[in-house]
Amino acid sequence: MANRNLQRRSILDPAVADLLAGMENKQAEARLPRREREKKAKERAKIRARRDQRVTYDLPPQLKQAMFDLAESLSLPASQLVTLALHRFMEAYAAGQIDISKYKKPSKSPRYDWKLDFPPEWWQN
Amino acid sequence: MFIIALANQKGGVGKTTTAVTLASGFSQHLKNTLLIDLDPQGHIAFSFGVEKTPGLYRWLVMDERLDEVIQNVRPGLDILSSDKRTESVKRHITLMDFRETLLFDRLRNSNYDVILLDMAPSLDVLHINGLIASDWVLIPTRPDAMAVDGVKEILLTMGEISQRGHQFAGYSILPTFFDRTTRETVTQFQDIVHAFGNKVLPPIPQDTRVRESAAYGKTLWEYSPNSPAMVGYQEGKIQVGGYKQIVDRLLEVIDG
Repeated sequence: MANRNLQRRSILDPAVADLLAGMENKQAEARLPRREREKKAKERAKIRARRDQRVTYDLPPQLKQAMFDLAESLSLPASQLVTLALHRFMEAYAAGQIDISKYKKPSKSPRYDWKLDFPPEWWQN
Repeated sequence: MFIIALANQKGGVGKTTTAVTLASGFSQHLKNTLLIDLDPQGHIAFSFGVEKTPGLYRWLVMDERLDEVIQNVRPGLDILSSDKRTESVKRHITLMDFRETLLFDRLRNSNYDVILLDMAPSLDVLHINGLIASDWVLIPTRPDAMAVDGVKEILLTMGEISQRGHQFAGYSILPTFFDRTTRETVTQFQDIVHAFGNKVLPPIPQDTRVRESAAYGKTLWEYSPNSPAMVGYQEGKIQVGGYKQIVDRLLEVIDG
């Protein structure tokens, strides 16, 4: 039986593949009824408007889950809770209420001089 | 040394603009570059804002040394220009022995890092010379049926040359005059991609600044370095196409 875990290789230049996919999507969209087209255009505009707000950070899975659970229990978007938490952190840091030096350890990374080492008990329930 | 021929038997597909822009790009990446005009129209010299000279004629017919007939047009970039006397070059070559390898033989010991050959839209002895001398063939094409037919013709000619023992390192197809808003462009681009797969390079958007830059005798790098023809399309967060990306792609080929 054929191995189903194999991943199909793209034989196209990645930029050409991206452009072609974008053009084919637009062409398919042009064939939709007017109302559907307008809906798609609105969705695209919304995604475009949010592009500057998007960010990717690596978080400990337990913290990510705790934030998700809290957002669920309060019936709030997790992004807004994270915004509140970060804003409060920035204020506290600016006021000198947060000392990160006790977590600071030299880093072996060629990109950074330091890393923060958090106590493992933070992630234990 | 790496020799790239720009060829398509269909005229008006952007061969000269591509040759001028890529040659300037390579020289800016510190590659010692020579651009040879094999087209009697002599538009390479015109594009750099210098006078057309019978450089190719003097080199191939009068047997003058290459360093005596080239013109240095930018730092690290020389051109060997053409004019109407290039027609006499073809007649002269036709009478010679080993006529199809003349250019290859003359360029073999050159000290340039990259040599670009801007070919005329024809299938004459100079065209065959250019293909035989080249390591890589770059085929600019407009996304229209006649220009794509020109791609097929070049590939057939390359096939015949390969059968006679010449080894090409490869070839690429470069869609030019690309207007992604028209249905015909989309259809032709799909056909080209389905037929040639990874041989197709990201396209060069249609851009009026290309015509303007030629009128001023400036390269696109000098006249409008951030125009669509140079930087391509914004597709999500990434740029797609444009001559800057093509220079990078070809430098990967040149540097192995």
